[in-house]
Amino acid sequence: MELSDGSVVRRVLDGEVELYRVLVERYRVKFGRHAVALVGDRDAAADAMQEAFIRAYDSLDRCREPDRFGSWFYRILTNQCHDTRDRIRPHADVTEVDPPAADATDAELERSELGRMIDVALDELTPEQREAFVMKHVDGHSYEEMAERTGVGVDALKMRVHRARDTLRQKLGAWL
Amino acid sequence: MSERDRFGANAHRYLDGAPHGDLAPEERREAERLLGAVQAWTEGLEPPTAALDDAVMARIRAKAPRRADRGWRWLVRPQPIRLRPVWVPLAAAAALAFWMLAKPEVGPGPTLATDGAATTVDTVFVRFQLIAPDAQVVSLAGSFSDWTADAYPMTQEDGGVWSITLPLPVGEHQYQFVIDGERWIPDPRSHALVDDGFGGTNSVVIVGPRGVVQS
Repeated sequence: MELSDGSVVRRVLDGEVELYRVLVERYRVKFGRHAVALVGDRDAAADAMQEAFIRAYDSLDRCREPDRFGSWFYRILTNQCHDTRDRIRPHADVTEVDPPAADATDAELERSELGRMIDVALDELTPEQREAFVMKHVDGHSYEEMAERTGVGVDALKMRVHRARDTLRQKLGAWL
Repeated sequence: MSERDRFGANAHRYLDGAPHGDLAPEERREAERLLGAVQAWTEGLEPPTAALDDAVMARIRAKAPRRADRGWRWLVRPQPIRLRPVWVPLAAAAALAFWMLAKPEVGPGPTLATDGAATTVDTVFVRFQLIAPDAQVVSLAGSFSDWTADAYPMTQEDGGVWSITLPLPVGEHQYQFVIDGERWIPDPRSHALVDDGFGGTNSVVIVGPRGVVQS
């Protein structure tokens, strides 16, 4: 039977330190792509996740609702990812990159290039817009699920996602 | 950003998963191109490998043992005290005598509640207050209670005012109010606030030997 988050947290606090691995594996898998999307670099995202797990461990006795460890850790991780992205990524400007030729025929290549440009264009967003965009389009959450996880209202989250898409549309105009 | 750079409301609904309805063909094409680009991007996202688990656990093992082991936690957490009925009057008399020595005062919280007459200069009575007329239960949680949500239930007074007076050691303490057991909020009247590092905000009260120094 799978141990609940609350049970693991309580047992780690009572001295069964090795059990913390259960939470690390569980949330590395669950939030891994989210972290890579937010940071924009897989290795840097791994570093950010590692720091977030250590930070959560050091503060575990302040996790007020052990059964909701995931929500608590999500906040720590997201803040860590924002800090890491700010540190590692110089502000990019996609308008400085030439669009693909109008007669490009290799659809896959073009699509891959568009994906790369999304990654660069995300630098143009605020951390809040980027987080909302990632929750919507990477994690696949509904706005209600996003509201529950972040504590932000549905309308505000919609606004952030819409602004993010509009910014991407503006920045990728030549490719779209 | 001009209107031309924005998707219309129908396009956003479409991008959120709704049917395209009467979305203009050109805008629908752009929305689909954007979705395709986003999909290509997400397909390239690979989560960190299991090596991360080993790295985290190695760092944790290298740390000093948690002092918050079972024994320590038992020592520092508030413990329930059970009294036999025969002892209750004596205990009540002792508590009353202690209370009279302390001479608590009422004021906006957190405030000095002893007029400097705490039993020792190491401990000062501090009064906390919150106006929450719609709350059913309010309690005080803080660094002084190991952040236990229900260790210090507050008393409801007239006008939706909740209050509690606590003996606090001289030093800096962080705290929040817990409304109905689930909503944590900082003190609206506190001027000293710090990020709790987890997306929330803690209020800070600094207690000196002669009372509240800063809040």
